[in-house]
Amino acid sequence: MDSTLAVQQFIQQTIRKDPSNVDEILTPPEGQDEGVWKYEHLRQFCLELNGLAVKLQNECNPETCTQMTATEQWIFLCAAHKTPKECPAIDYTRHTLDGAACLLNSNKYFPSRVSIKESSVAKLGSVCRRVYRIFSHAYFHHRAIFDEFENDTFLCRRFTVFVTKYNLMPKDNLIVPILGDETSMNESEA
Amino acid sequence: MDDGPVTQNTSGQIGSLGTGVGIVAKTNQDEYNQRPHYSIPGILHFIQHEWGRFETERTQWEVERAELQARIAFLQGERKGQENLKNDLIRRIKMLEYALKQERAKFHKLKYGTELNVADFKGTVYDDLTKDEFVDGDLSNSNVSWKQGRQLLRQYLQEIGYTDTVIDVRSSRVRNLLGLAPHLTESDEKKNTSLVNGEQSLNRVTDTQRRGAGKKPTNSAAENALRETEASVLATFDFLASENIDIEDDEEENLRFAFDSDENGEERNMEDNKRIISQQKIIAKNNKTERMDDLMMEDAETEEVLSEFSFLGPESANGSREARSLGDIGEWEKSESDCEEEWGTSPQAISKMMEEFRRERNRKDTFQRPKRSALQAMLATLSNSSNEENRPSSVVPDNSPFTSSPSSMSQSQSGTGFSCDTPSGDSRFGEGLGLLANFDSLLGFGIPPEVNTNGVHGGNLTFGSGSRCPLLGSKCDDENMDTSLGLGELAGITVSNEAESCYDISASKEAFRKTWNAKYTLRSHFDGVRALAFHPEEPVLITASEDHTLKLWNLQKTVPAKKTASLDVEPIYTFRGHCGAVLCVTMSATGEQCFSGGLDSTIKCWNLPNSNIDPYDSYDPGVITSTLKGHSDAVWGLSVHSSKLHLLSCSADGTVRLWSPQVKASLLHTYYAEKDDGQPASVDFVRCDPAQMVAAYDSSNALIFDLETGKNVLRLDTINSSSVNPLSKQINRIVCHPTLPLVIAAYEDKNIRFFDITTGKMVHSMVAHLDAVTCLAIDPNGLYLLSGSHDCSIRLWNMDNKTCVQEITSHRKKFDESIYDVAFHPSKPYIASAGADALAKVFV
Repeated sequence: MDSTLAVQQFIQQTIRKDPSNVDEILTPPEGQDEGVWKYEHLRQFCLELNGLAVKLQNECNPETCTQMTATEQWIFLCAAHKTPKECPAIDYTRHTLDGAACLLNSNKYFPSRVSIKESSVAKLGSVCRRVYRIFSHAYFHHRAIFDEFENDTFLCRRFTVFVTKYNLMPKDNLIVPILGDETSMNESEA
Repeated sequence: MDDGPVTQNTSGQIGSLGTGVGIVAKTNQDEYNQRPHYSIPGILHFIQHEWGRFETERTQWEVERAELQARIAFLQGERKGQENLKNDLIRRIKMLEYALKQERAKFHKLKYGTELNVADFKGTVYDDLTKDEFVDGDLSNSNVSWKQGRQLLRQYLQEIGYTDTVIDVRSSRVRNLLGLAPHLTESDEKKNTSLVNGEQSLNRVTDTQRRGAGKKPTNSAAENALRETEASVLATFDFLASENIDIEDDEEENLRFAFDSDENGEERNMEDNKRIISQQKIIAKNNKTERMDDLMMEDAETEEVLSEFSFLGPESANGSREARSLGDIGEWEKSESDCEEEWGTSPQAISKMMEEFRRERNRKDTFQRPKRSALQAMLATLSNSSNEENRPSSVVPDNSPFTSSPSSMSQSQSGTGFSCDTPSGDSRFGEGLGLLANFDSLLGFGIPPEVNTNGVHGGNLTFGSGSRCPLLGSKCDDENMDTSLGLGELAGITVSNEAESCYDISASKEAFRKTWNAKYTLRSHFDGVRALAFHPEEPVLITASEDHTLKLWNLQKTVPAKKTASLDVEPIYTFRGHCGAVLCVTMSATGEQCFSGGLDSTIKCWNLPNSNIDPYDSYDPGVITSTLKGHSDAVWGLSVHSSKLHLLSCSADGTVRLWSPQVKASLLHTYYAEKDDGQPASVDFVRCDPAQMVAAYDSSNALIFDLETGKNVLRLDTINSSSVNPLSKQINRIVCHPTLPLVIAAYEDKNIRFFDITTGKMVHSMVAHLDAVTCLAIDPNGLYLLSGSHDCSIRLWNMDNKTCVQEITSHRKKFDESIYDVAFHPSKPYIASAGADALAKVFV
């Protein structure tokens, strides 16, 4: 842990070792600053979500998914614009990831990767909420893609555990039923 | 531009000459049986005409010279003005610096209770600019207490209304300049006889000398011709015909004039007249030396003849008028071509001088230009002072030539001799002389063609002495100026300035050595940036990252960052298409497309979105045009051909492939190396031979392939010792010099090695970094090499002597890797580096 990028290195190493071992991945080393830990994990989620976005690009087009929806309950408005607007799902996905990339790399909110201001840590929650919608949209509208992606990366599972563990999102917002039956849940849903 | 009129003119006169010759031949056939093509009146007319023509030309030259001199004076005045302004600003800066230093010292004293190291104060470094102007020996000043500093500052603040002073000083400077002008030109004349004379030393002798010198080649040629043509009169007439002359009209009057002049013994010396080709010319030549003396001694007499001649002008009826209009006015028009011709300089020399002049001008232009109004004010001063100063260059048209002072006599003489009698000529003359009025337009045009020829001149005149110091100015002048600026004891203040070199304009005298500074930080990737590529023209670049994306950045769209020196840029587009890390990217020569290779074994072709695209625009599936599939393992290197849209890729599957991304069957060729060569790590087209490419392998071998046949044509003499771990010898990057048959390879063993690809021999090897060298880039001119290494630094190398010009620590380490790629912008002064810390940085 001697470099500014050590946390990222640590996370990536544990992921590479076994992406399915969510708990180990999410276990911080001793003495790790929690803000940085959360921040680096969120970076890693956004990074890997690019893979899901690439897959969605091929199937999720503005004609079929004119709005960002998961269940019929909510239409999500894209926050990347000055006035939030109803972007098609693929645009919402891209804009959310681009916006998250800009925010998480912002010199203003995250000038350092070794210490994170408390006020900036608060930003992480909203990023989590937004990127979670990508999972939920994929799950409810492009199930095949979601499953394929999830089987490779266990990303949604890890994400769900992550936000639950660090209380970054309210439980009832986690609409993808991925932890319902623990590990078997995923199989039975598929 | 005046070639047209000239040739027209000539042919017209040749025509009339032909008929004239015919007539002469007929009437005098009996009398001059032996020389049927030749007649005295004809010759006399010719001589007279030629003489007249030369007078006209001379007038023009003089006008031109006056013009140039005035221009030079003006430019020098302008320069002085700039210098004054500059000095003034420097003075202000220095005073502020001084005050700052004092304040710092005070602060230091108050805070720590000790004196700040006095050495800081004593380190008064005189910068180049002020060295000349400020008086030395002011160390005492450096010790003045802060009180005095304050005092000085106050003094300075009182001067804030300095602009009036500056303008006054400027005009006085211009006057000084004009006053000094004769001095200078005299000395210049000594240096170079072909230089134009000083304004006041205008006299015939030097004038003829000048012309003689200028025309030497043609003159001697004419003399040779003369001797030869003694025998062949026909040839003589051919020769005559080739010159623009008219002997058709007014034979009687011309004859009379010629005799007159003969009687007066004032026949004009025709030494420099290349068209005299008869016995009569020999006579003239015999008289030459006398005439020279005569001309010197008896200016008045010459003047008389001249005036006679000019009075003759109107008398000589229509024909002569026609001739004149052809001759004189034509002359005016073709003055510039004549000028070039007569100066007898080779075109190369002229162009060289022109270039020099332009460069000088450009340099001047890099100084901040004064406001137009200031220029006009100076102009006004200039014209005023030139009037006051005995009209040094006779700039103002003078219609009473016979009463003018000796110094300007010859000029006004010649001026009136030919120009005043024909209205059009006069007006042109006036126009030519009204140059002061034209200055504005001259300046406005930059250098119009007309001035260009003058520029040749000006270059010779002003910069021929080869010194950059002010031509007219001298040290005492500067001192005067300083006192007139009211510098007083301030002149002594030279507070050292650490950042002096930043604005030291005179430093540009030396070969410009740029220091690159980080300006833009490109942060938006989540993981290491593996590669980057610049747009060929725009300040736009694209980065490829391990976070599966590529991002497009427009350096003109920056995010205002607080208090940091570098600006943040946000990406304007994110390319998503690779499933896995993107390892390499390259841009087509047109900047319309880019190609990326990734860990997913594919190469993606992208259409570059507009550089002003809204980052949050809706998704356009057309951005990704095609995916080149063929490799079975990660694509590690790409290279695009500079002219045709061909793409080379190298992959961990051991192959190098050539693609034509736009056609359907895009894979053109696959190149295999031998098994023990290993995997290709980097590939590049051979820039000086478009039929070849070079591939470097992780076995440290580098091979040159023929693109067509796929055969390995050359194996570079790379280090191939098997003693140590072969991986430490691997080549990470190989690049070809844009023009030379040279490839440069970056090695894992910290070396950079240069190879001649005609022989395959290594020409240079150097330990370039403290860690593995990972990437290389050559600037578009092939003069500098940029290398990046896992030692976190990028280094700039002079290609000539292979020395490191600059080192910049740029990125942080991740997994012991730091810098993945470096790049030069193909047309703009940008360099960039991409690092494992998810950042890309752009330096200017």
